Formats: sequence, structure tokens, C-alpha cells
Amino acid sequence: MIPLELSILLSSIVFTVGLYGLMTQRNGIKLMMCIELLLNSANINLVAFSAYQPNMDGQVFALFSIALAAAEAGVGFAILLSLYRLYGTIDLDNINALRW
Amino acid sequence: MFSDYAFLIVALPVLAFVLCIFFGWHLPRGGGPITVLATFGALLVSLGIASEIVPNNSILHQSIPWFGVFNVGILVDPLALVMLLMVTFVVTLIHTYALGYMNGDPGAARYFAEAGLFTASMLGLIYSDNLLQLFIFWELVGLCSYLLIGFWYRKPSAAAAAKKAFLTTRVGDVLFLTGIVLLYNNMANLNLTLAPGEYLLQFPVIYAHLAQIDPTQLTFIALCLLGGAVGKSGQFPLHVWLPDAMEGPTTVSAMIHAATMVTAGVYLVARMFPLFYAAPNALTVVVLIGAFTALFAATMGLTAFDIKRVLAFSTVSQLGFMMAGLGAGAVTGVFAVAVAIFHLIGHSFFKALLFLDAGSVIHAVGTNDMREMGGIRKYMKWTSATMLIGSLSLAGFPLTTGFFSKDEIIVIAYEYGIKASMIPYIFLVLAATLTAIYTFRLWFLTFTGEPRSDYHKHESPAVMLGPLVVLAIFALLFGIAAQGSFYNYVGSNFEHYDVDMAVLAGIGGHELEEGGHGAAAAEGEHGAVAATEGEHGAAAAEGEGGEEAAEAEEEGEPFIIQILPIIIALGGIFVAGLFYYWKKFSPSMITGERDPIRQMLLKGYYQHEIYTAWFAEKIVYGIAIFFNMIDIKVVDGILNKISDWTVAFGGNLRKVQTGVIENYVTALVLGVVVLVVVVKLAMEVGI
Repeated sequence: MIPLELSILLSSIVFTVGLYGLMTQRNGIKLMMCIELLLNSANINLVAFSAYQPNMDGQVFALFSIALAAAEAGVGFAILLSLYRLYGTIDLDNINALRW
Repeated sequence: MFSDYAFLIVALPVLAFVLCIFFGWHLPRGGGPITVLATFGALLVSLGIASEIVPNNSILHQSIPWFGVFNVGILVDPLALVMLLMVTFVVTLIHTYALGYMNGDPGAARYFAEAGLFTASMLGLIYSDNLLQLFIFWELVGLCSYLLIGFWYRKPSAAAAAKKAFLTTRVGDVLFLTGIVLLYNNMANLNLTLAPGEYLLQFPVIYAHLAQIDPTQLTFIALCLLGGAVGKSGQFPLHVWLPDAMEGPTTVSAMIHAATMVTAGVYLVARMFPLFYAAPNALTVVVLIGAFTALFAATMGLTAFDIKRVLAFSTVSQLGFMMAGLGAGAVTGVFAVAVAIFHLIGHSFFKALLFLDAGSVIHAVGTNDMREMGGIRKYMKWTSATMLIGSLSLAGFPLTTGFFSKDEIIVIAYEYGIKASMIPYIFLVLAATLTAIYTFRLWFLTFTGEPRSDYHKHESPAVMLGPLVVLAIFALLFGIAAQGSFYNYVGSNFEHYDVDMAVLAGIGGHELEEGGHGAAAAEGEHGAVAATEGEHGAAAAEGEGGEEAAEAEEEGEPFIIQILPIIIALGGIFVAGLFYYWKKFSPSMITGERDPIRQMLLKGYYQHEIYTAWFAEKIVYGIAIFFNMIDIKVVDGILNKISDWTVAFGGNLRKVQTGVIENYVTALVLGVVVLVVVVKLAMEVGI
């Protein structure tokens, strides 16, 4: 069995990559992908702990989280699509109409 | 039976108000007949109540709780009853007259609505059983007078006059309210245990506990209430609004001057007479203000050329007589109330008559200026005849109503003079002389001689003449018919209450006369005797004492004092005749155009200069500017500064919202890190 530490290490790396991307990227699509990474790192943790426990609660939560991520991605990409139609770009730095 | 419907006395005119204001536009004559009928109904109910309480010599008192320690109630005692009858009667006639006078005016519906409300407020004021309710109706009267004086509100002078009336009486009203609060405070401090149905500000309760209140406080309260009365009744120095109130329709002037407004102040002092009596020095102030006003206004009446202004000054002067009469109660006791109220009622008959006559003349001639009238007698026989009766009564011609009432006030002023000070008596005699002169100056200038301008020569319609004739009959005969019984009836007013005038006299520092005027004293003396015996004794003593005192009075005063009112009335009429009828003299023969006294009288003692130009525009306006500055700089300044700071802070704070996602995420991560560190540290320390 894979030790728990490795799973947590993996999830930490994935989380850090996602966070880094979120802090540095401007492109809307990339941001969405980073958010997916964050969610999936959490999923890895859930599954790892669930296997370590052992019971099925964590995996149920992981499924729940994946469904949530799918819904979030659907809404997010729909918004980005309409932003693109409106501004012709998805570089979020250029989309600041509601800023002070 | 009628007593159960006493509320209708107010309810009917209010109903007329509602009907006229909503539906008057669609009704003939602006719904005027509704108001007339409603007032007439109130008169009938009053008569019904009179037929029930006068034979039993009882009073009618109904009351229901309102909130807290206050109640709403109806109190019809002799004082209120005579006022109710007078107001409903005179106002019914005035409204009837107004049917003709206001016919064709586009605002007739508004007029009759407001007149109905005016009547209702005055009637409510009269039979209120507590001071707070009285004050509410008092304010309503003020409101209605404002509306009616400014009836022709498109005319700037009418709007200004309405504002002046409202603001001037407001000065008095504030004092009145202060007096009520003070009185309430003092009553509450007595910690009375009140029986069910008794409330702190009810008149019977006030009367019963006057003796327990600190006399200095009583004087304060009395002077505050007097302030209200001075404002409402147009006494010096708050009389300035009354002559200007002539801007309204003449029927409004008649209502204000005769029945529904200025009498309220006199009525208030009469209603609170036990309080004034118990308060040291309060009645001295009343008598001095009254006598001074009587003379002061009479001199101004001499020089005015506007027919309604002359009558207005005469009202101020006659109200001064009433106040002086009440003030003389310091010596004569409750009798003074009867005398003053008798003059009030007689005055309302002949003053309503004079105003309606003046209205009739103005209706025909189309001007208020007496210099453009003259010789109207030939064309308006009824008007001139009724006005002659009114003038005779006002001048105090023997055997008219005005003669009896004014004579009696002068007599009690003389009694006051013997005991205290002759100044009020001298003032009143001079004022009475001037009254006769200016009244007949008015009559001669208007009705005799040759026409001095080209006016319409036609008599008024019957609907206007009818009320004139009825009022003329009362102005002529009411005094001779009602005098004696009236004094007895109204003089007994405070015997219905638990109030001992002898004790109050002791507090107020008055000497109560034995018998007669001091009927309450007789009761006080006999009160110690066994119950039934005592009552009979007191009643007998009252009866006999009254007659004895009356006789003593006849003998007690020098012949000249009794005959003097007749002499001055006839003399005044004669002097007016010399100047304006036979034209033996003319005013310019005794005073030149440049004569300072003549100038002063013409300018009305420079009241306009003092009140408006100096007091209002310099002092008050200066204060107003000062406070306006404080308002703008300090009050508004603080608020503006606070809001400026808030806006500036927000303006700076929103810079945080950069709109750059990376910044948000960074802040988020930093926040989480800080949170984790804090929680970790907290766990380390073990919180």
C-alpha cells in the first residue's frame, strides 16, 4: 500500500501548482484549470485518507466534490465564453468594467 | 334625554364640515344650508340641555378615559351653557347671513366647510371638561381662524394677515401650554388618590385641589394661562393681529369678533377664575391689561377710516372691558365672572350685528373706506336702522344691552378702585366715552350726509336682513330682559364644584365681601352648621345677602358714579354728532395735520413700526440670522464633516479592489497563512 505521506505530498504539489498558476496567470482558461487542480488536490487527500481510515466516507465526499467541480467548470466556461463574445478576449486584466 | 346627545353639539358642525369639503362643490350655495342646519341643530341640542339642567340647577358632566391620566369629556355648567347658547345662536345667524353674502363666491364650499369646523372647535372648547381637551380645541380655533382670515389667499394682504394672526396667537398659545404643563406638574406632585372617573386636568378636580398648590406656582400658572388668553382675545401687547384679521370675508370677521374666537380668551380666564382668584397678584395683572387695552384700542378706533377696522378696534377695546371686569373679581369675587360673561354675550350680539351690517354696506358699496360712503341711510333703510341699534348698544345708550353690561363692569371697576386702585376705573370711563364717540363717528360718516362717491345703491337680500333684525332685537332687549337672572345663574357657577372661594381668597390675599357677591363666603360660614340646616341657611343667606348687597350697592356708590355711564354715553354720541352730523367742528380745527398726537393715532401708535419694522425685521430677523448661521455652520457643519470623512475614507478604501485576480488570490493566501499561524500560536499558548 502506498504510504499516506506520499499521497499527501502529491496533493500538496498539485495544490501548490494550482495556487501558483492562480496567482500568476491572466488567461481565464488557465485560471479555470488551476482551480480544477486545487479541487483535485483536495480530492486526492479525501481518497487517501479514506483508504487509510479505512471507510468509504471520504470517497463519497470526493465524488461529491468532482460533481461540484464539473458544475463549477460548466458555469465558469459559460461566463468566459460570453466575456469573450463581449470583449473579444479572455485576458482578465482587460476585463475591468465594474472596477472603480 | 338631550343630555345623552350633548356630543352632537360638536358632531353636527363637524359633519357639516365633512359634507361641505367633499361634496360642497356639487351643492347649491356651496353646501351652506348644511352648515346652517347643523349649527341650528347644535342650538336645539343646547336648548334641550338647558331645559334639563336649568330647572334642576344641576350640571352635565360626561367623561371617558383617553390615555394615561387624561380623558375626554363634556362639562356643561352655567358658564358653559350660556356660552353654548350664545355661540350656537349667533353663529346660526351669521351662517344664514353668509348664505347671501358668500353667494356666487367660487370658494363658497370651502368657506362653509371651514366655518363649520370653526364653529365645532369653539363649541368643543366651551364644553371641554379638562384643560388638555380645551387646549386642543383652542388650537383648532386658531387653525380655522388662519384658514378663514386667509380665505382669499390669492390676495397677498390676506395671506399676510392670516400668517400674522396665526403667529401672534401662537405666542400666547406657547404660554398657555406652558401653563398647562406647570399645572399638571403641580397637580401630579400632590399625589392625589383620584376616584374612578376623575382625572388630573379635569376642571372639577383642579378646582377642588387649588388650595393645596403653592401660591407662587399658582401665580406662574395663572400668568401663563393669561398669556394664552391675551393672545387669543387680542389684548395688549398681542392685539396686533385682530385689526388685520379684517382681510377675511366680513362674516368671518363677525364670527371671530363676536362668537367663535376672541371670546375664547375671556372664557378661559372665566373658566379658570378660581385659579386666578387664588393666585396672588394674578387678577391685578388681568385688570391692568384689560383696562389699558380698552383705552388704548379705543383711541385707535377714533382715527381709522376703514369701517371694519373701526369695529375691530372696538372689539379689542370691549374685550379689554371684559378682562378688566374679570380682574375686578379680585374685589367682587365670582360676581365679576357673571358681569364679564354678560358683557361678552351682549357684546357678541351687537358686535355680530355691527359686522354683518358693515358687511351689508360693503356688499352694496364695494369699498371699506368710510370716506367714500355717506348718505347710505336713504338707500339701505333696514341696514342703517339695525346698525343704529347696534351702535347705540355698543355706545352704551341707556336701556340697550351694552348699557347694562358695560355699566356693570364700570361699577365693579369702581368697587375695585375703592379697595385697590382707581387706575382701571379711570381708564374704563375714558374708554367708554371714546367708544360712544367713535361708534357714532362711524354711523354718521357712513349713513348720514351726502354720498361722497358713486356707489351702488341697493338694499341687501332678505336672507341677509333676517339675521340682522333678529340680532338687533337681541342687542336692544337682551340686557333688560336677562340681566338679573343671568347674574344669579352664572354667578352660581362655581357652587357646583368642591371649591371654597373663602379659602382661595385667603390664599390670593383678597378680602371677600359679605353676602351678595361673596355667595361662596356665605356658604363657607354656614358650612359648619349641621348638614341640612346648613344648606338651607346658606341658600337663604345667599338670597337675602344678594338683595341686601344689591341695595347696599345702590346706596353705597355716589350718585355720580351711577349716572356717569349714561352721561358719557350720551355725551359721546353728542360729541360725535357735533363733529360728523351737524359739522359744527371738524377734527382739523383742534389738531393740525402735523400734530404729533394725531399722527401717532393715525399710525396706530407706531405699532407697525415697532412690531414689524423694528421688532420683527430687526430683532427677530437678527436672531433668526444668527441661529441660521449656527444651523448652517455648526449643526449642518458637523453632519457634513462626518459625511465628508466617510465618503473620503470609502474612496480610499475602494482602491483595494484592484480588479486584478492575482491580487485577490495573493491576499486570500496571505489571509489563510496568517489565520493558520494565529490558530497554531493560539494552540501553542493553550487558549
